[in-house]
Amino acid sequence: MKRITTLLTGAASLALVAFGAQAETKIAHVPGGPHPFFADWEPASMAAKEDFNLGAADYRFPQKWELNLQNDLLESLVTQGYNAFAIHPGDPVGSVPTLNELVGTGAPVIAVSACVNDPSDVSFCLASDAGVSAYTGTKHLIEAMGPGTKKIAHFTGWLVEPNTQLRIDGVAKAAAEAGVEIVQVIADIDAPEPAEEKIGAYLAAHGSEIDGVITTAWVPAVVASNAMRRIGDQRIKMVAIDHDEVVMDAIRDGYVVGSMLQNPYGQAYVAAFAADKLLNGCEVSADAPFADHPLTARFIDSGAPYVDAGNVDARADVDRAMTEELMRKVEADFLSCN
Amino acid sequence: MSLVSFDAQKTVWGPTVRRLLLSNEFGLLLLIVVFGTLFYSVSSGFLSSFNLNSMSRAAAINVMIGFSMMAVIATGGLSLAVGAIGVCSAMVCGWLLQEIGMPWPFALIAAIAAGAMLGAINGTIEVKTRLHSFIVTLATMSLFFGIMIFLTQAQTYRGIPASFVSFGRMKVMGLSAMLGPALIVAVALIILYSFTRVGKEMLAAGAKPEAAMLSGVRVGRMIVLAHALSGGLAAIAALLLVARNGAAIPSMAGQQGQDWLLIAFLGPVLGGAVLTGGKISVVGAFLGAVLVTVLSNGLLLMQIGDFWLQATLGAVLLLAVLADLARRKFLERRAQ
Repeated sequence: MKRITTLLTGAASLALVAFGAQAETKIAHVPGGPHPFFADWEPASMAAKEDFNLGAADYRFPQKWELNLQNDLLESLVTQGYNAFAIHPGDPVGSVPTLNELVGTGAPVIAVSACVNDPSDVSFCLASDAGVSAYTGTKHLIEAMGPGTKKIAHFTGWLVEPNTQLRIDGVAKAAAEAGVEIVQVIADIDAPEPAEEKIGAYLAAHGSEIDGVITTAWVPAVVASNAMRRIGDQRIKMVAIDHDEVVMDAIRDGYVVGSMLQNPYGQAYVAAFAADKLLNGCEVSADAPFADHPLTARFIDSGAPYVDAGNVDARADVDRAMTEELMRKVEADFLSCN
Repeated sequence: MSLVSFDAQKTVWGPTVRRLLLSNEFGLLLLIVVFGTLFYSVSSGFLSSFNLNSMSRAAAINVMIGFSMMAVIATGGLSLAVGAIGVCSAMVCGWLLQEIGMPWPFALIAAIAAGAMLGAINGTIEVKTRLHSFIVTLATMSLFFGIMIFLTQAQTYRGIPASFVSFGRMKVMGLSAMLGPALIVAVALIILYSFTRVGKEMLAAGAKPEAAMLSGVRVGRMIVLAHALSGGLAAIAALLLVARNGAAIPSMAGQQGQDWLLIAFLGPVLGGAVLTGGKISVVGAFLGAVLVTVLSNGLLLMQIGDFWLQATLGAVLLLAVLADLARRKFLERRAQ
C-alpha cells in the first residue's frame, strides 16, 4: 500500500513538473505609438488568447510615438510578468538594445510590421516588405495612368519610422524603371493635421501638373483619398496603402485606383502563435527560408496583396486567406518543435 | 552641567533639524519613499533587479535633463530648446563617430561643446535683443532641429562604439552605471553654485538683475554662460540616451525635442527652484527627477500609465508650481 502511495505521489509530482514546464505565455503586443494601423492588434490579441489558450495577450501602446516611452513601457511589462513580445519597433536601431534586454530575460521577441537592424536577438521580423509593397503599388499606378510621359507625387509617413525610407526607395525604383518623374515627395505627414495641410496645399498649387499620386502611409492615404473625392474629375490616378474605410469607399467609387494591404490583424495573431511556441520549446528552424530584407536576414514576408474595384468588397476574405497562409507557413517552415 | 549642555544642543540642533524637515529636499525624499512603498505593495516587481536597473537608467537621464533647465532657471530664464540642443549634440557625436571616425572620448567632448555653443547662441540672442528667453528658445528650438534634420536627412547614426554602448547596459551594485555621470555633474553643480564666484553671480543675476548690475555683476555675460551651461548639460543627457539606445537618433527627444520639456521643468521646479530666478537646489532637482521617474515607473507598473502618465506628470508640475507660489507668498509675509 505504501509503495502504491509512493508511486502515485511520484507520478503526480512528475505530472506537475511536466505541466509546470509549460510556461504560461503572457504576450504583449506593443506598437511604437498610437496609430490607426494598429487598431486590429487588440482584437487579434484577444483572439490569440482564446485560440492558443494563452495566459494573457494584451495590446499595450505608449501614449506617444516616442522611442523612450516605448522602451520604458517594455521594461515595465517585463516587471509585470509578460514573457513574450510582439513589437513594432519605434526605431530600427534604437530599439535593439531594449529588445535584446527583453530577450535576455528569456522572453521571445518578434518584430511585427517593421523590422530592426541586424544584429539583434529578436527571433525574426514578421512584416510586409515595405519597399516591395511601395514598388508594386507604384507599378499599379503606372499601369493605371497609361502610356506617355507621366508625373507623380508621393505622400508618405514619418521619416523616423523604420519603413519610410524603404518606401521612398521602392517608389523611386518603380518610377525610374518606367521613366516616370516623381515631382514631389512629401514625408513626415502621418498625422491628420500635417497631412491635411501639406497634401491640401500641394494639390491646390500643383494638382494640375501631376498625373498620379502614390501614398505609402495610413493617414496620407486617407487624406489624399478625400482630396481625390473633392477634386472629383478622376483625372489624377491614385494608389493608396492599407484598409481604412475612407480609402475602401474611394476605391468603390472610382476616385482611388487601388490599395496595398498589410493585414495587421494577421501579423499580430500569427506573432502571438509563434511567440507562444518559441516560449514553450520550439525554436526558429536552422534552415528557415527567410526572405531578403534591407534591415535583417530573418525576415518573413507576411504579404502585401493589392485590392482594387474588382475585389475591394472581398477584402475580409483576402485578409483571412492571408492570415491562414501565413500561419501555415510560419508553423511549417520557420519553427522547429521537436 | 549636563542640563546646560543639553539645552545648548537643543538650541543648536532644534532649528537645524526643523529646517531640514521643512526643506524641499526632505519632502521629496519622503515622497520617494512613500510612493516607492506604495508601488512595491502593488507590484513586487517594483524592486526587482531588472526594474531597479531600468529605473536608475531613466532617472540618470531625467536628472540631466532637469539640470539643463535648472541652469537657465537660475538666471530667471527658461529654455524650450533643451531637447533640440540635446538631439543636435547627439547627432554631432554620431556624425563624428560614424563619418569622421573620431575616438569616442573626443567625440563626446565635441558634442558637449556643440551643445554649449548652441546654448550660448540662445543666451547671446536673448541678451542682444532683450527678448524673453521663451520667445528666443521657441524660435531656436525649431531652427536648431530643422537644420539638424536638413543636414542629417533624418538618418540615424549607428556607428557607435560597442564600448560606449556597453556603458548604457552596465550595472554597479544593481543600479545603472549611468547614474555615475549624473552624480558627478550634481557635485560639480553644487560646487559651482555654492563655492564659485561665477555660480553665485549667475544666481545674483537671476535674483535681482538691477542690483546685481550695480554690484558689478555682468548680467548679460551670466545669462549667456547659463545658457551655455544648459546646452552642455542637455548634450550630456542626450549622450546618455545615445548610450542607452546604441544610436544617435533624430527622434530621440520627439518632434523638435519637445518630449523633454515636461521632465525638464518637473525636476527643478519640484526641487524648489524659483522660476523667476535666483534660487535653485541641485539636490532638490536631482530628487525631483528621481521622484518623477519613480512615479512614471510605478504608474506603468500599475497599468494605469498608458493613458494617465502624462496627465499625472502634468498635474504634479502644476501642483509644484502652485506650492512654489504659496511658499514665496509665505516667505514674503514672514519678511514683512
